[in-house]
Amino acid sequence: METLILVIIGLVGAPLAGGLIAGLDRRVTAWFQSRQGPPIMQAFYDVAKLFGKEKMVVNQWQILCAWVYLIAAAVSVALFFAQGDLLLVFFVQAIGAVFLVMGALSAKSPYSQVGAQRELLQILAYEPILILVFVGFYMVTGSFSIHAIWAQDMPLLAKMPLLYLALGYALTIKLRKSPFDFSTSHHGHQELVKGVLTEYSGPYLGLIEMAHWYETVLVLGLCALFWHTNVGWMALLLVATYMLEILVDNTMARMTWRWMLKRVWLLGMGMSVVNLIWLYAG
Amino acid sequence: MSNLLVLLILLPAAAALVCYFVRSTAVRKLTVLATGGILTLSALGLLAQGVFAPIEVGSFLGIGSDFLVTVLDFVLLGVIYFYGYKHKSLLIQGFTLAQVVLLAWFEGVSVGHEAVPALMGDQLSLIMVLVISIIGSLICIFALPYMKEHEEHLHLKKTRQPRFFFFMLIFLGAMNGLVLSNNILWMYFFFEVTTFCSFMLIGHDATEIATKNAVRALWMNALGGLAFVVGMMLVYSQAGTLNISAILALGSTSAVMLTGLAFLCLAGFTKAAQVPFQSWLLGAMVAPTPVSALLHSSTMVKAGVFVVLRFAPAFAGTFLSTGVAVCGAFTFLACAALGIGQSNGKKILAYSTVANLGLIICCAGINTPLALTAAIMLILFHAISKSLLFLCVGTIEQAIGSRDIEDMRGLYGTNPRTALITIIGILTMMLPPFGVLLGKWMAMEASADSNIFIVVMLAMGSAMMVVYLARWAGSMMGTREPGAKAESQPLLTRLPLITLCLGAVLLSLASPWIYNSMLAPWIGSAPFVVGFGSLESAHGTFVVVPLFLVLGLGLLYAVKAASGYRRVKIMPPYVSGANSASGDGTYVGPMNGDVPFSAGNLYLGEMFAEPKLTPIFNALAVALIVLMLGGAL
Repeated sequence: METLILVIIGLVGAPLAGGLIAGLDRRVTAWFQSRQGPPIMQAFYDVAKLFGKEKMVVNQWQILCAWVYLIAAAVSVALFFAQGDLLLVFFVQAIGAVFLVMGALSAKSPYSQVGAQRELLQILAYEPILILVFVGFYMVTGSFSIHAIWAQDMPLLAKMPLLYLALGYALTIKLRKSPFDFSTSHHGHQELVKGVLTEYSGPYLGLIEMAHWYETVLVLGLCALFWHTNVGWMALLLVATYMLEILVDNTMARMTWRWMLKRVWLLGMGMSVVNLIWLYAG
Repeated sequence: MSNLLVLLILLPAAAALVCYFVRSTAVRKLTVLATGGILTLSALGLLAQGVFAPIEVGSFLGIGSDFLVTVLDFVLLGVIYFYGYKHKSLLIQGFTLAQVVLLAWFEGVSVGHEAVPALMGDQLSLIMVLVISIIGSLICIFALPYMKEHEEHLHLKKTRQPRFFFFMLIFLGAMNGLVLSNNILWMYFFFEVTTFCSFMLIGHDATEIATKNAVRALWMNALGGLAFVVGMMLVYSQAGTLNISAILALGSTSAVMLTGLAFLCLAGFTKAAQVPFQSWLLGAMVAPTPVSALLHSSTMVKAGVFVVLRFAPAFAGTFLSTGVAVCGAFTFLACAALGIGQSNGKKILAYSTVANLGLIICCAGINTPLALTAAIMLILFHAISKSLLFLCVGTIEQAIGSRDIEDMRGLYGTNPRTALITIIGILTMMLPPFGVLLGKWMAMEASADSNIFIVVMLAMGSAMMVVYLARWAGSMMGTREPGAKAESQPLLTRLPLITLCLGAVLLSLASPWIYNSMLAPWIGSAPFVVGFGSLESAHGTFVVVPLFLVLGLGLLYAVKAASGYRRVKIMPPYVSGANSASGDGTYVGPMNGDVPFSAGNLYLGEMFAEPKLTPIFNALAVALIVLMLGGAL
């Protein structure tokens, strides 16, 4: 029963939180750039407007893929709130990521094709890191289930600091922030138009936007697990992490995929492995 | 019971003879269909009767069966030597001669000829028999219309199908014999039969390249055969018995015994095409597609992993076990990386097969109950999905004349049925809640206990496999013009495709019950508890049935939404407003000329180039194998 309530909170709360975060993100970014910025609720207005638009697609696969992306993102958040298996949460999340790419590949559009290839490279970069972070959780708690984390009486950050830093790479990629935002750049002036999202429009783009909110909450939820013992510190950790993301986003130029793969694999995996060796030794 | 065993092992051989000598298409068709049906029923019958303790096989026409196997062994080695001589391969001749000498000495001098029960059936054997008999039969049935068309393309004067189906059917019988063997000499005999069958089938088309690749496959597997003989002799010198169940009960007692087991694992590695032996399996794709499907799913390579898995309990907890796990994980990573650089559909499938076999061997090496469960789950579901995908590539190749994934772009537009089944097949290889992913999940959870190198290799390999499978599935999706011609398929092509596709999906749904009824009793200390259709362990929980329900309902809704696309405005893709009047992604380019749409995948040649990486991977793999063998001493 308790699990069911948590799942419902996750399913309803996550998009609301994700949308709010997106709105706050824009305000803070605007503040960085000495601008006023849109209202905090702007992300919701945007999606509401998208749902009011005419339905247009290149082919039916895009409708299917947009829906599956949203459903998979929602199910992975639900599993996360049900305190399920971390690896399983991750694999369900991967369904969404894969379908987003496949939808983009189905259109005869140069922009979405290039975007899809780049999105696959991003997956290639962040997937191993996420798995290693989960292995780190396992090393500390003896289980892949989120349940086991709550049984710990010490914040995990103390034991997995380098894994948290490595997770930061995955977070930046998943949030589609510079310097890793090259598959769906949210800055309109860049050469890819909208990359993997180019051919999605109207209500279907709205679905994808909502799926992205779910994913944002999922990745931040993973970060939150590093300080589960105290809500205050957890909130502080999340705010600090997200602020850092925004700072990075606004101060870094977008890089090439080569740069990303090398950086994330060498530094990210390197830090993860070093941290895992401590845990294995301990 | 014994009747079923006779049917499973000898019926295919008898049917093979019929196919070879009765050169009538109708008889051949009937024989293959009937054999497939009987094998399927026999495998299910054996499953219904359950596991059985090792049993004796009496004499055959007054000749002792053990003696008969010995004679056949030498005949077979003679035939292999002949082919080595014919193709001027010193390697084949050398490896075969060495086997003959060692085997003659072993059988003549060292073995005390006590009676060993020849056949046994534990859960592992029963699952293998199901995989071999049902999937193998479906592939043989698929081959009926396929080979007809294949030969029409080749403009042969005289059909070579009798020979083809002869070896296909023998293969199935030999595999059933291999997995049911309790006498290690019998296992060796069947092991060699599969080597020979694969050689004949790879070289079936008798082109220069086919012969070359067949010869390479033969020398590599002859090396494996030699390793098997050496391993068998070392194990016998310590255990003093040919009885496999007795050897397993003995466990690892001495360094010589472990070295023997290490050589048996090496034999498994060659057969399962582990790096550095992967080249024979990649070369094998010159064979007609049903051969590839058979080699990659239910026979040959599965014989390799089966041998490692069969002897895994005997070396649990030793350095050899870790060595096997590291070798397997390395193959998983190496072949996942090599797959990224490929655009040839069959080659992608080949690398993904080798990678998955590496994962299975890695699990056998991790050697915990959880890991062994993962290994069997992977064997089962990989066989279904991979055979389906190979048959799909074969069907596509005959439809569009290419096996390159770039040529399969938008295949849904012209061949919606085949494209859809292929896409589903690819998804069952990499996404939850399907069986292959379930096995991968178990493997990863099991690897977290073992060793940091293994975990890192599995994490990276897993991400790489997603890349090349996802882009293939995605590029097959495409626009289907209203009123496009419907796709027609012969019944015997469609039947295996649909059966395998349904099997991949429905058996995944049934995986908790498959685990409960088949795997848990074999493992002994069962790692999972089944509750609410979920597999729960101390490591974590995979909610199989709930996930199926939720994602299934979600998918149904998505399909319904997508099927209403006629009410949605269909637009040409965005090309910065330069769309040409002819539509279809064409845009107005320089000099006002139309530039048609074209796209290509990113194969990352600078990082994942096959010619560059292969020597490095081979060298590393040799080092790891030496480490594994040396560490066993």
